[in-house]
Amino acid sequence: MKKGKEMVAHAQRSPFDHAPCFEDMTSSLQSTARQPKGMLKETREVVALARKFKEEVMRPITLSMDRQMQKDPEYLPWEFVRKANEWGFYTLWVPRIFGGKGYNSPSMSYFLEELGSECLGLSNLIGVHYLAVVTMFATFNIRLINKLLREVEDGQKTGIPCLLSLAITEPGAGTDVEEVELVDKGNVGCQATKVEGGYLINGSKIFISSGHVSRWHIVICYEDLKNPSDTMLVLPVKTGSKGFSFGRKEHKMGVKICPASELNFEDCFVPDDLVLMNKEQNQKNRRNNKQTNSQMIDYVVSTSRAGVSAWGTGAARGAFENALDFAINTEVNGKRLVNHEWAQAMLAEMYKNVAISRLSYVETNYANGLCGLYKTIQFKPLFYYFKIVPKIVIDYIIRPIINLPVTTWVFRKIQLDGQTDAQFHRTSGWASLAKFTGTDAGVKNCQMALEIMGQAGLRQDRRAEKILRDSKLLQIYEGTNQLNRINLFKCLAAQGHSQVRVFEHE
Amino acid sequence: MLSEKETTIIALEEDVVEFTETKPTPPAPKKEAKSVDVKDVKIAAKKTAPRTSKKELTMLAKAASEFAKKMLAPNREENDKYPFGPFFEDALEKAFGVDFFHIILPEDMNGMNQGMSALSVTLDNICQEDSSLGGILFTNAAAQELMIQAGSKAELERICSKETVRDFLIALPVFNNPSEVKHLAQAKKTGDAYTLSGSLEYMVLGDLAGQAIIPASIAGSTRYSYFLVDLKDKGISKSEPILSLGLHACPAVDLELNHVKATLIGQEGKGSDYFEKMADRLHVAAASMALGVMKGSFKEAFDYAKKREQGGHEIINWSEVKMILSNMAIKISNAEMIIEKACKAVDTLEAKWETRSRAAALHIQDMACDLTTDGIQLLGGVGYMKDFGQEKRFRDAKHIQALLGITPIKKITFIENMI
Amino acid sequence: MISRSEIKSYLSKEPLFDDMTCSLKATTRQPAAMIKETRKIIELARRFNKEVIEPYALELDRTMQKDPDYLPWEFVKKANEWGFFTLWIPKIFGGHGYNIPSLSYFMEETGSACLGLSNLICVHYLAVSTIFASWNLSLISKLCRLVAQGEKTGVPCLLSTAITEPGAGTDVEEVELVDRGKVACSATKVEGGYLINGSKVFISSGHVSQWHMVICYTDLKKPSENMIILAVETGSKGFSFGRVEHKMGVKGCPASELIFDNCFVPDDLVLLSRDHTGKQKRGVKETCGQILDYVLASSRAGVSAWGAGAARGAYETALDFALTTEVNGKTLANHEWAQSMLAEMYKNVCIARLTYIETNYANGMYGLFKTIQMKPLFYYFKYMPMILLDKFAPMILNLASTTWLFRKIQLDWQSDPEFHRTAGWGSLAKFTGTDMGMKNCQMALEIMGQSGLRQDRRAEKILRDSKLLQIFEGTNQLNRLNLFKCLVAKNNPMIKVFEKE
Repeated sequence: MKKGKEMVAHAQRSPFDHAPCFEDMTSSLQSTARQPKGMLKETREVVALARKFKEEVMRPITLSMDRQMQKDPEYLPWEFVRKANEWGFYTLWVPRIFGGKGYNSPSMSYFLEELGSECLGLSNLIGVHYLAVVTMFATFNIRLINKLLREVEDGQKTGIPCLLSLAITEPGAGTDVEEVELVDKGNVGCQATKVEGGYLINGSKIFISSGHVSRWHIVICYEDLKNPSDTMLVLPVKTGSKGFSFGRKEHKMGVKICPASELNFEDCFVPDDLVLMNKEQNQKNRRNNKQTNSQMIDYVVSTSRAGVSAWGTGAARGAFENALDFAINTEVNGKRLVNHEWAQAMLAEMYKNVAISRLSYVETNYANGLCGLYKTIQFKPLFYYFKIVPKIVIDYIIRPIINLPVTTWVFRKIQLDGQTDAQFHRTSGWASLAKFTGTDAGVKNCQMALEIMGQAGLRQDRRAEKILRDSKLLQIYEGTNQLNRINLFKCLAAQGHSQVRVFEHE
Repeated sequence: MLSEKETTIIALEEDVVEFTETKPTPPAPKKEAKSVDVKDVKIAAKKTAPRTSKKELTMLAKAASEFAKKMLAPNREENDKYPFGPFFEDALEKAFGVDFFHIILPEDMNGMNQGMSALSVTLDNICQEDSSLGGILFTNAAAQELMIQAGSKAELERICSKETVRDFLIALPVFNNPSEVKHLAQAKKTGDAYTLSGSLEYMVLGDLAGQAIIPASIAGSTRYSYFLVDLKDKGISKSEPILSLGLHACPAVDLELNHVKATLIGQEGKGSDYFEKMADRLHVAAASMALGVMKGSFKEAFDYAKKREQGGHEIINWSEVKMILSNMAIKISNAEMIIEKACKAVDTLEAKWETRSRAAALHIQDMACDLTTDGIQLLGGVGYMKDFGQEKRFRDAKHIQALLGITPIKKITFIENMI
Repeated sequence: MISRSEIKSYLSKEPLFDDMTCSLKATTRQPAAMIKETRKIIELARRFNKEVIEPYALELDRTMQKDPDYLPWEFVKKANEWGFFTLWIPKIFGGHGYNIPSLSYFMEETGSACLGLSNLICVHYLAVSTIFASWNLSLISKLCRLVAQGEKTGVPCLLSTAITEPGAGTDVEEVELVDRGKVACSATKVEGGYLINGSKVFISSGHVSQWHMVICYTDLKKPSENMIILAVETGSKGFSFGRVEHKMGVKGCPASELIFDNCFVPDDLVLLSRDHTGKQKRGVKETCGQILDYVLASSRAGVSAWGAGAARGAYETALDFALTTEVNGKTLANHEWAQSMLAEMYKNVCIARLTYIETNYANGMYGLFKTIQMKPLFYYFKYMPMILLDKFAPMILNLASTTWLFRKIQLDWQSDPEFHRTAGWGSLAKFTGTDMGMKNCQMALEIMGQSGLRQDRRAEKILRDSKLLQIFEGTNQLNRLNLFKCLVAKNNPMIKVFEKE
């Protein structure tokens, strides 16, 4: 009888207790009140600029670069990097107080979509620089951030590009490095040992995008390899440093033009004053070191994953545009393929895939702007102030303030301590959602495009097959799509249910 | 001489699988079709081992198909109203009369001594018209198979000698794998006798059958055992038929058990062994239920598309409609081949036959869910209405997917068996 | 780096910048007060779910399975008491004036609890959109005030839209198709009005509605150029109800047959006819298409929200099951494969939601609600006292010139790109949201196995309900073609949609 009552009670318990919270549902709506209007104009400029760059610089070389790489896998695209540097892309989204042009970061996602629709490889060569920039931002070590970004600014002025790369993945730890719950059970090997005046790094990193063409590498390493989540350090290493060398460059299926590099560290010395973040610095934060490291990594991926989603959108769009072009110009059974109803239905489905991917990264950026990495910088008074403040004020008044330890302390207080768990989960969960949605859409559209194009879709010179090869990588890096689903579950579905455990051994 | 019919014939071995003809064929000179009596199949079967010959299968398929068209198709909507409408007693009795419930039983139990090919071809044809009866046949066959695997010959013989269909039927909670979600009663042993107490969810045929097979755990054991109970026992209280998604006329009830006398089936603690062995065989039968539903759905959609006009001509002339129909037809063509192969593997105990059976079910049931949703879609608004058969097939296809356990867990088990 | 003219030129290449950035643009233009209104609506919906819908949904579905001709008058009265039938009618027409995009959130919330009951409340607004799209302000005012009256007296006054016919389902949704189709509902001009003959089917909420906006044709041979919308009251001579359909799901909301037998409608109940559509910038046929698209662009966002609701209901039910069921010795929600499936379901809900929200941004800037969401007007009507509105509004609204002005603004001054944007997004949201609903329902039942088959566990009902969403308001196939027409083909002369094969 008891079980029967339980069954009845079960049926009566409401699943409506799991209704999503208002803030999780309405990032774009809330932005209608809080987002600075100036961002629209900046976005228009950025998208137009992207389209111009696509037309003038990328389109003439997309296919030939891919061909070149198939012939000579060791080729490095210095010419393109110099060109991108000339156009100012490596400083466009760096805040003005750090020497950049200060365009708002969400506009970069639109930019990445545009470039990604033309060539993911070339687009990566620009975008992954900002992955490293964001990693530095996530430490909120304002003085160091400024120091390194000024070199990037110099690089733009002198014409000698100064790119940054993020070095986190290791041979024994791919998925494992992305989550603090996993890294301790994992097999990390990149160790930082404390010595007089600094640290010595030993180990290697692999699959580091743009490694070979970057001047600075933001390296995530660990003091105690058996307890990495609690002994994580973020150390910048300059190309050419003693003890640092490049290893192999991977031979990838696609995104060929952007090198995936191996970095080798052999007693590579990094002085104390270049430590972006370590346990000692984190003592001042509200959360403990392990939690702070987790928060810091989530800050990075919450923004970078929106970018990868934008690449996915770009791939989906490139595939759609190629298929549409083919359909308009090809006749089947006496009429244009594009006038066959079944083809129209497929193309509509592809259009929709582009649109929903875009919506997902755009929404993620709204969330980042309201409660994530960009929240301070998108706070209306600050946004407009930094937009108009004259350079001379930045150089003589703001710069000295940046170098003060108290500035770093203030930012860490606002962004690390000041971010609630709910906000942290919102941005992290949405970024994961956008990431796997956008990248799945990219691959899906590529598959459909090749279906429609048949034989024509197989040839490299018709563009479609290259996008398929490129788009697959997006489902893997920045956290595999499987990892991202679990992260979404953890952040947005499992909250409030104490019985749920993620990453638990089966 | 068989008259022209759009029936599907399942062939054996290298024989070509045919499917509903897409072009109208010139009508053959009509002759009176000799009604195929399933008893003819039995007589033929007596001479052979469980391996069914092509001729026997064809006869059985025809018998099932005719039965379905005659007894199930005319009142499909009415029969589906159960429990808010009458139960299709006469169809059930007729099916019993022509021995559809005896397909896998051995000869000494008045059975046809056939294998999964025969059961599958019967279920396929029945489910083209109404999978509720298919569900009753499946459940009963699964129960019989459980008892066979457990070696409970005497008990099974006793049940199979019953005269009326209700006394003959065995209820079984066939939508649950007791190793997954543990819906178990509690068994108490006193000396050599057992009694069961507790609750049991979703006992299929619980309000129709004379007896039920119940999985229960004996106190102190982590493993479960199967027990047979008389459903007339005073210690059993049954709920009303559980209002469910599909297979309305294959009803299930919740049971409350209070010290009910029970007979152990097989050995203590071996419940999951028997279940898995039964499932190994019956999965392919579940797959063929899904196949039957798919065929019915396709046929109705195909016929409708040729008649209904929108945009100035028959909708089948819109190429997107053609695309959708084509995807449906391709699924069916593939499913037929898979089931044929899987049935053969099961009946001849080929290497890896257990995985063949399970893989067939997992894939084909999935296909059926997709296909039947398109089956509704092609009829537009009327596809959603009870006056037409599509909405029932959609519900039934989804319902069938839950046979023998939770689908994703079935998939996990599949790969775990390979590790 | 880039000149202003270059910017303009690049942004007008496909995809149009404006097609891509409705939410971003809305951050600069949408009245901020809409946020608070939306929050209130969602809270209201959740309370209504908990107190009224949740305790009743399964029971009603059961009742309908037993007695398919039952009409849920009790519930309609309850919804009327809660004020739902006037909540989204503008204040100048006697309603409470909540912003229309918030209605979509409401539809998602109530849809996640029961699509049938949600339909009963919200298809009323399909009719409200229909009358709005005619911009016949004095008639709009009259009809809306009757609804408001119904709220005061406790005798509900619901509106329905009657467009679908036995011979024309998909065909009535597109002007390119309707001429080739078989419409049969005719309106013949007589002295002082029109006579309607024919029938309409599948009319949601028909049997419980007081007024029906009937879309019929003064010339059955060329319906696209002879569309007429007439307001018919239940009980009129020559009007009667036919059958109530026996549906697989959404049983709570009747799908009615309406029968017209020389049903007389006076001239002053004509919402829109050729006399009006002929006066606009675009030709009659195109204007009819534009008006239909105005209605559909907003109603389809609503159906998408229902899809999101179905997706969410399925997800929440599956999550609940996973949290309370053990498999292999641990909670199902701790099995990685289940977490992955639930994450996929969560994502599907979000995607569906994002599409209807984006569509509403578009509608607010370029579509049906664009006038009413202009900041000055929005705030004016929000804060203007009811007494003043009641006093002055009828005067202004009854002027022919006001109607003329609105038609100019909304019909003539809507550019082709704007028209395509809202119509295309409406379609995109519709098929995306409803497909997500179905997908989640299928997944939920997979996860729940046996438990998912029982009506009393909620999941199977949502599956039955959600299938209808893929069919009505234009089948998903039609909506894909419409998306293609509006957002891909646009005015490319080489591309033809709905061409005979």
